[in-house]
Amino acid sequence: MAYITSKNFERFLEALNKDYQVFAPVKKGEQRFYKRLDADFGDILVGEVRAFEPVKAFFTRAREEVADGFKPDIPHAADKPFAIVGVKSCDLKGFKIQDHVFKNHDYADPFYIKNREENLIISADCTCAIETCFCLALGVDPYPTEGFDINLSEIDEGYLLETGSKKGKAVIEKYSSLFQETNERFIPRRDKVRKKVVQEVEKNIKENEVPDEKIFDGIIEKNFESRIWEEEAETCVECGACTVICPTCHCFFLYDQKDEKKMARFRTWDSCMIKDYARVAGGENPRAKLWMRLRNRFDKKFDFFPKVADVYACTGCGRCISACPAKIDIRKVLKRLVKGDEKA
Amino acid sequence: MKKHKNIYRPIEAEVLDVITETPTIKTIRFKPKEKMTFETGEFMEITIPGVGEAPFTPSSNPESTDIMEVSVMKVGKVTDKIHELKKGDTIGVRGPLGTGYPVDDFEGKEVLVVGGGCGFAPLRSLMYEFFNRSGKFKKLYFRGGCKTPQELVYQDETAKWAERDDLNFKVTVDVADEKWKGNVGVVTTILDGIEMDHPTAIAVVCGPPIMMKFATMKLLEMGFKENNIYLSMEKNMSCGVGKCGHCRIGTYYACKDGPVFTYDKIKNFHEIWA
Repeated sequence: MAYITSKNFERFLEALNKDYQVFAPVKKGEQRFYKRLDADFGDILVGEVRAFEPVKAFFTRAREEVADGFKPDIPHAADKPFAIVGVKSCDLKGFKIQDHVFKNHDYADPFYIKNREENLIISADCTCAIETCFCLALGVDPYPTEGFDINLSEIDEGYLLETGSKKGKAVIEKYSSLFQETNERFIPRRDKVRKKVVQEVEKNIKENEVPDEKIFDGIIEKNFESRIWEEEAETCVECGACTVICPTCHCFFLYDQKDEKKMARFRTWDSCMIKDYARVAGGENPRAKLWMRLRNRFDKKFDFFPKVADVYACTGCGRCISACPAKIDIRKVLKRLVKGDEKA
Repeated sequence: MKKHKNIYRPIEAEVLDVITETPTIKTIRFKPKEKMTFETGEFMEITIPGVGEAPFTPSSNPESTDIMEVSVMKVGKVTDKIHELKKGDTIGVRGPLGTGYPVDDFEGKEVLVVGGGCGFAPLRSLMYEFFNRSGKFKKLYFRGGCKTPQELVYQDETAKWAERDDLNFKVTVDVADEKWKGNVGVVTTILDGIEMDHPTAIAVVCGPPIMMKFATMKLLEMGFKENNIYLSMEKNMSCGVGKCGHCRIGTYYACKDGPVFTYDKIKNFHEIWA
């Protein structure tokens, strides 16, 4: 394990800027947003909790060109990869789902694969929890244990560093003069912060009575005909925020530029909450009602993914709770599904 | 780094001919500029440049690898434009996608094909494949239905099918006109009296969801095994490669794991006939 001072960390990011487009969270009001760093490398927030945007945005862009006419090339293949700083554990779990979709089938997605191979993930321990955090219920610790290139634990005026991949190791070696040996005393101090955050998340889980994923088995099937769906969807305004903000949601909409002279194909994130999502050309819609689409969203997360990829497609990041204008709370829905009760 | 193919890019193709089949269905003959082949039942995404893409299962003989055909019913944005295509126009083709009919497994068995409306299109390709392998099947039946005689596709061709020795062929319409001499009624009415070798007999069904539902119920009643009933599921297949999410059926994606499924695989899922 190595250690880097905050000052040297700034210089490290500045150096990374040559090979990467460096992004790190900055705080605006109560929220944290990713910002491209190219001049000021100091004004960043490595710790606290996950940023507003899901990190999947650096791997499948919210909108991107996927075909330039009939040319076989991959559009924008020469763009500089991203170095993403301050990625939290909940976003890293999202890659389990994203990888399953984009990597593990007969048809590999060349855009995603390129980003997964080239992007550098510099994750960080959470240093606090916010009210919507419930990662522990989904088997995620609030500090990264896998899926990163480099992980940072904030200690004093610097960071304790752990490498999680060859790529991460190589980067550290390349800039070895910026790093120093770890002081053994830092480890118990790191663990103390970790323990404090775990307790904060545990408190959230207890207060909101969030069930643990160990008892999620069969919750969709046993409630498929329940009134829960209609009741929970009552306030939904079909905005799709819950899905675009979700680190596990991967659906996209493929469309062509409206120009008959030049064929160009794009994809944008799509949402299964939107009415026409599953509609076929003849007009038939298997999920014409909003509550059916809400049920489908949970079905995909808590029935489909555990069956096909052995993972629940929720990371406990709580983004869908804060993004929802209708105050639909996934923790409450899960609680009702586990209890199988009919009343809110 | 390993080079991955761009799975979203269509191959340029030239429209060779446009055949009007019925007032709402046209067949487009086209020639892709790069070599592509397909197995019967696999589908293609057809691009109209500047408009978009939609999925179709080729209706042509899989043996013809340089020229292929799709038969398209006019139902929406992309299909409206497909109906405006003329000889010489440029389109895009992406595929083949999905899993086709396991015709090898059908050899030596009795096969009943049930088609409805524009479901005739993929089935024509399957029938060509059966005829390519004529003599390899114990018995072949084709039972087709559509709303009116005007909506019956491939009439010249199916007239010839009716005369073949290796095929027992019958069609029906829901509503007849003065000239119609055949059966009147939904397709399940012409399945009566067909005696087949169960449990090995195979049934293949393609048509509108409501017809598939009733045909499946009828076939089960007739004694077909659930794993011998092949259904073409109509879902909103967009990316065609199991990524965009739109065509999910239970634990499958219609585009990647289908669009052809045996009934036993999907019967416990919700929303299958919608």
